[in-house]
Amino acid sequence: MLLRLRTYFILKLVTVLFFALTAGAGIARQSPETGAVQRPHIEVELVSETLSIQSGEPFRVGLRMLPEQGWHTYWINPGDSGLPIVMDWTLEAGTEVSQVDWPYPQRLPIGHLVNYGYEGEHLLPVTITPPAGLSSGEDFTIDLYADWLVCKVECIPGDAHLRLTLPVRDQVPPINPRTKSLFEWADRRLPEAAAWDSFFSTDGGQLSIQVEIDRDLPSQGWLFFPAEENIIDHAESSFITFDGGLIQISTPLSTYFTGAPDELPFVLVHPDTGTAFSLKASADSLISDLSISSAESSNPHLALLLLMALIGGVLLNLMPCVFPVLSIKALTLANHSDRNHRAHGLAYTAGVVLSFVILASILLALRAGGQALGWGFQLQSPWLVGALVYLFFIMGLGLSGLYTFGAQLMGVGERWSGQEGLKGSFFTGVLACIVASPCTAPFMGTALGIAVLLAWPVALLIFATLGLGLALPLLMISYWPAFSKRLPRPGPWMETFRQAMAFPLYLAAVWLLWVFARQTDANGVALLLCGLVALGFAIWVGRLKDRGQILSTMRHVSVALCLLFAFAALASAARLQPNAAEPASEWWEPWSVERLEQLNNDPEQAVLVNMTADWCVTCLVNERVALNTDAVRTALLEHDVVYLKGDWTRRDPAITQYLAEFRRNGVPLYVVYPRSGGPPQVLPQVLTPAIVVGALESL
Amino acid sequence: MKTFLFASIALALSFGAANPLLAVPEIGQPAPDFSVIDTKGQTHSLSDFAGQLVILEWTNHDCPFVVKHYSAGNMQDQQRLARDEHNAIWLTVISSRAGEQGHVTPEQADELTASRDAFPTAVLLDESGDMGRAYDARVTPHMYIIDGDGILSYMGGIDSNPSRHSEDIPDATQYVVKALDDLAAGREVAHAVTRPYGCTIKY
Repeated sequence: MLLRLRTYFILKLVTVLFFALTAGAGIARQSPETGAVQRPHIEVELVSETLSIQSGEPFRVGLRMLPEQGWHTYWINPGDSGLPIVMDWTLEAGTEVSQVDWPYPQRLPIGHLVNYGYEGEHLLPVTITPPAGLSSGEDFTIDLYADWLVCKVECIPGDAHLRLTLPVRDQVPPINPRTKSLFEWADRRLPEAAAWDSFFSTDGGQLSIQVEIDRDLPSQGWLFFPAEENIIDHAESSFITFDGGLIQISTPLSTYFTGAPDELPFVLVHPDTGTAFSLKASADSLISDLSISSAESSNPHLALLLLMALIGGVLLNLMPCVFPVLSIKALTLANHSDRNHRAHGLAYTAGVVLSFVILASILLALRAGGQALGWGFQLQSPWLVGALVYLFFIMGLGLSGLYTFGAQLMGVGERWSGQEGLKGSFFTGVLACIVASPCTAPFMGTALGIAVLLAWPVALLIFATLGLGLALPLLMISYWPAFSKRLPRPGPWMETFRQAMAFPLYLAAVWLLWVFARQTDANGVALLLCGLVALGFAIWVGRLKDRGQILSTMRHVSVALCLLFAFAALASAARLQPNAAEPASEWWEPWSVERLEQLNNDPEQAVLVNMTADWCVTCLVNERVALNTDAVRTALLEHDVVYLKGDWTRRDPAITQYLAEFRRNGVPLYVVYPRSGGPPQVLPQVLTPAIVVGALESL
Repeated sequence: MKTFLFASIALALSFGAANPLLAVPEIGQPAPDFSVIDTKGQTHSLSDFAGQLVILEWTNHDCPFVVKHYSAGNMQDQQRLARDEHNAIWLTVISSRAGEQGHVTPEQADELTASRDAFPTAVLLDESGDMGRAYDARVTPHMYIIDGDGILSYMGGIDSNPSRHSEDIPDATQYVVKALDDLAAGREVAHAVTRPYGCTIKY
């Protein structure tokens, strides 16, 4: 072993030495060659655009490469394999040389991979600025060491030390007729640097890019070339759509994708017209159709956002799910004979604002954790919804007069705090916030959407302002004597008012019951209603006057049993699952492996597959803004496309398997299958009607 | 639940469906099994090596990037390091189709091993390319490490500098060596996925 190892080391030493010598020779380089130089499978030459140069005046030279038929060299991003050409200039002191103005490449499929590069004669131009103070008649020497890989299927590395000598003249340099067409070729293929806003995201296993363009461009036939290696699977075709002023690019990430750069330079090429743009996308959240239209004034000023949040908060007071709580609170204030209104108002405000901030923090934390949850998620738990039904019902019964609360109010806030006073006001604020949150969305959705797209401190500030807005009317009532004096004096009217206030609570309970019904099923609702009856019974029994020890014990046992039953009813109801997905409508069918196969075997049928889940916010948004629109429905009918919808709300192995076929492990996934039986095409994860209609038309 | 639908609209993109790509194969998941004959005609399967680290090296002796690492002795060093110090199995895999560059007879393969003083446990002749496709092997050299439980622990390039020059090797991060160190120390492999660079495999 020792002997063998030693031999190995000697052998290795020899190889290293040998290699160092050859490499050294490579670095020391053969003496520079002028004119066209022949290397295996390629001819290379250093050429200039002009026949002479002027002192201090920029001029262009370029590396001309002519691979053999069927061979190619590589672009700045070589694609799935290969290496970009490396160019190393040696120039007189004081000379500046630009970066290579890379002409846009072509896609070169090699086996199951795709490379980006050039076939046929091509030129990689640079601009050289010689020092001023060169005198006419002098020779200016340019040395270039070029190192490349030229490939067909196999690859041959090559290098050359090239030299070009140009005379310095006083007059304007004449164009070199021999290289004119080559430089023109390079200019035609030089992408125009576009200053359009562009963002990219690498969420969901896809590279998604959005570009906001400011001119009319052809909507079909574009190619996408990222200038960074190792971002996408180059062999996958990119999905590119134009929608108004927005280009959307979507393409699967490389298996070997390890992390996104801050900036992603890329080139968009329209080969038919020879149009090409070079762009830089910055890593950022993408914008949905909706937020584009609402945020048209680009970035609204923070003050404006806060004002919107404040107004939205005030408007929330009118929401049916806030009003009951508010009415309770108003009643409390009306009930207070002391002049402690200000403190109560402040405590209430603190409760509201703090709750909004806490809820927003949870939301932001979940967002950071990648959870697909929406505002109002606290009501997604049937447990909480059921408990709120009970709570609102009991409160309603109290207001109706089934039982009395004593002198003060029966706000839930007080129940939580167990006392009147400031704590009670604080918890009323907390309650207002919790029940308000689902109502927040429809009216403040856009503002919230912008808020969660912002940095978290700003987002928190917006939520806090929203809470302040909600608390504002009560705060004003409590704070300004003018307001509080307008409150009616306590009196017998309060009994009537209190009883009237029960009805908003019953309505709130009904609304929550409806939510509960959506979360469970008819049995769940029936159980919960039985629970309500039991609670009502418990209250009624509890208030009966005792007539003896036995009856008293029975009464207490009954109350305990009823409470136990109500709890058990809620517990078992909350565990029920909703019935099978909503029945298929006229325009979509439930997805199944068999149905998809059957449709794919029919050459007349094109298919749109939508894999979705109730808890997937993106899915729901896409359905709302794109799939469920009239434009898409019409397109489905016109182009005779069958729309299959798979529901992954609960785990479904068949759907998991299907997702895996597209190398996904999550929804949404949108796939279209052409009529002809061609390969399926995956649509972007962010849909607009135009994307879907465009995809349907292409089938 | 309509309300939530509304709510979701504005929030959609910030939440997204942040799902990592389901790669085939995938780090942390069982590596694909294979059953391929070596130059001696013996069949090897991943399951034969249960309990041992297995390193897969896709190769094509005429590929300039393979030449880079063999001529400098880097690949042989790593083979010895892996087998001697980590008690690992090193399988060199050739997936070139018959008639394509890199395709060799068993005799030629053994001769290459001898002449380059390579030290693999075995050289697998994956003429059909089935094993290569199962691993989504793309280039030569393309490296994989599978731990004793059959879990894929590393996939990617041999090192961090995608050049074709041997003199760049000393300055590059040798990912396989690093991964072996991490595994030996019971750490997470710091760079479990890296960019494989080299020549396209000639399936």
